[in-house]
Amino acid sequence: MKIWVVRILSIIGTLVAVFGFEFFMRGLVAQDQSLDYIYRLAVLAGLFVTLAVSLNLINGITGQFSIGHASFYMVGAYAGATLTNSLYKIQPLGPETWLFVVALGGAVAAGIAGLIVGLHSLRLKGDYLAIVTLGFGEIIRIIVFNQPFLGGSFGLNIADKNDKSLWAVLLLAILCIAVCRNLCQTPHGLAFLAVREDEVASSAMGVNVTRVKVTAFIVGSAFAGAAGALLGVYDGLITPDTFRMDVSFLILTMVVLGGTGSITGSVIAALLLFSIPEWPRFMVEGGKPWQVTGATLLAGAICLIVSVYLVKRTIDEYHGPQRTKTLRIVGIVGGGIIGTVLLGTVFGLIPVLANRTWDVGALRMVFLAVTLIVLMLIRPQGIFGHEEFGWQKAMKALRFGKPGANPT
Amino acid sequence: MTTPLLSLDEATIKFGGLTAVNKVSFDIERGDLFGLIGPNGAGKTTCFNLITGVYKPTSGKILFKGSEIGGTPPNRIAEKGICRTFQNIRLFPSLSVVENVMVGAFLRHKTNIFSAFLYLPGAIRETEQFRAQAMALLEVVDLADVALARAADLPYGKQRRLEIARAMATQPDLLLLDEPAAGMNPQEKEELHLVVRRIRDEFQKTVLLIEHDMRFVMGLCEKIVVLDHGEEIAAGPPEAIRNDPKVIEAYLGEAV
Ligand SMILES: Nc1ncnc2c1ncn2[C@@H]1O[C@H](COP(=O)(O)OP(=O)(O)OP(=O)(O)O)[C@@H](O)[C@H]1O
Ligand SMILES: [Mg+2]
Repeated sequence: MKIWVVRILSIIGTLVAVFGFEFFMRGLVAQDQSLDYIYRLAVLAGLFVTLAVSLNLINGITGQFSIGHASFYMVGAYAGATLTNSLYKIQPLGPETWLFVVALGGAVAAGIAGLIVGLHSLRLKGDYLAIVTLGFGEIIRIIVFNQPFLGGSFGLNIADKNDKSLWAVLLLAILCIAVCRNLCQTPHGLAFLAVREDEVASSAMGVNVTRVKVTAFIVGSAFAGAAGALLGVYDGLITPDTFRMDVSFLILTMVVLGGTGSITGSVIAALLLFSIPEWPRFMVEGGKPWQVTGATLLAGAICLIVSVYLVKRTIDEYHGPQRTKTLRIVGIVGGGIIGTVLLGTVFGLIPVLANRTWDVGALRMVFLAVTLIVLMLIRPQGIFGHEEFGWQKAMKALRFGKPGANPT
Repeated sequence: MTTPLLSLDEATIKFGGLTAVNKVSFDIERGDLFGLIGPNGAGKTTCFNLITGVYKPTSGKILFKGSEIGGTPPNRIAEKGICRTFQNIRLFPSLSVVENVMVGAFLRHKTNIFSAFLYLPGAIRETEQFRAQAMALLEVVDLADVALARAADLPYGKQRRLEIARAMATQPDLLLLDEPAAGMNPQEKEELHLVVRRIRDEFQKTVLLIEHDMRFVMGLCEKIVVLDHGEEIAAGPPEAIRNDPKVIEAYLGEAV
């Protein structure tokens, strides 16, 4: 009884939040058409969260090394596009309901692809499985590339696009997170984790390893497929190039960076990695992007190396209460920034360094790469490790000087 | 005569030129505390691997409750009621102690995976039920106080006991223990002795155990089979085994 009350209330709360956000964003766009790209960024962020969390189900929770997630994204996108192009005109549903149909269509198509790849996971482990998933992604892309009826390299147009579908994207992301989190709280989820930890021991305990792996692949790819379908319908055009290998690697990086197995980590890392290359868009003054001088870049690089070294040493040496550790990191990072400014001023005296400037926009990918390197050096196990976010844990971390509160 | 719970009938397995287990036959009756001993490399663990479906016998039969199980996949064998521990501990290292035991209980799940995805009341109830059962088993092996620790963080002796609790959670009819006392100090061995007895007497499990510590086996088991180089060289109660010249020779004068 109580369960249902809580459940219904949280569903209502989620819906209110999602649609509230949708209308807020629409209002923003209505006021100023040039802000349309923010709406688009929100859509893409939602899709990447779904992709990262669904890959985390395969890689992090079940421990299968799949690095071709973009292929399931692609299968879903093309399935959704084909479905829309052939049936949208004759369907009696409204454009909103149609989003559900498209997402489901993409999920089913990608789920079948996931089944095919998943069957290989039964015989192959680790690197070998990775090669198969990667190869699968490339094969699919090349097949599509050469199919005129799928648009070939020009891509596939979706006449009936729906560019007001942020809410659907957000609901999908939330559903994906909820499903993974729910799973992990039940014995079924423990069986998935057990397969990750030790296949021999899990099968000796009666876990059907085959079924667990294939299920993980099917569910994980189905979510990616649904995301792909929503992307197609939102953009109105999909090309094979949208689903290149580097997208697979970006998703994989999100999972690893967040901490393999941690749903919270995947979400945070997806948002972080997706947004970093977008920050320079906002670093604009008087319509022109910020200029970065060679002096600042060099100073920044030096201070970064020094602070990463210091933070790493602090973490290695100091195993005190979380809070103090965090304070030190903040202190060192703050020091790094101040150092950059000071050092930058000094280097600014050198004409060669002071006169060479770059648009901040040109440095987008540099930001991404640097963030990755720094995070992997400071926390090789990922931002969250195997941990999940929980209110109790958060409260505990905030409390002063009570390190013994953790149950061991 | 009733059918034995487990019977090996000339079970044999060859790895290339090496016959690791050669025509081994023995019967285990319900309620037995059965020992399997032999020098290093005798083929004891391989016997366990045959019984639990890790390997398929090259020839011979393995009957459990009267039906052939040779070559059945391990997870099906666990469902049929045989569960084991491992000589080189194989826990789920980054799961907590209680979660390790709950994985053992998983094979008795009644809810389907969709109710787990949606966390329906059935799944919640089952989770709580398995957790309670796991905690009860942790009491038995005296690990309840570390239920929330990571399995990898436990000391060696406790990891061995955790493996027993995890196997017990499958509610097997036959429990196979591969060197459960290895690496334990005398006091821990004493406690383990009591735990194994309790598993047999109170939980009415049949136990087959491999052990190198002769005092431990002789004090615990009622029937013993001795393997050497894959061959069965003796079988019988501890007193007979202790004085068997072939066994003494196999162990080369080691105190038996
Ligand atoms: N998969 C395998 N492939 C090849 N040889 C194997 C395999 N498994 C076991 N053997 C061999 O079979 C023989 C018996 O090994 P087994 O592990 O059963 O011995 P054991 O009696 O358990 O010994 P210990 O007391 O050291 O655990 C050994 O010679 C071993 O090398
Ligand atoms: Mg052995």
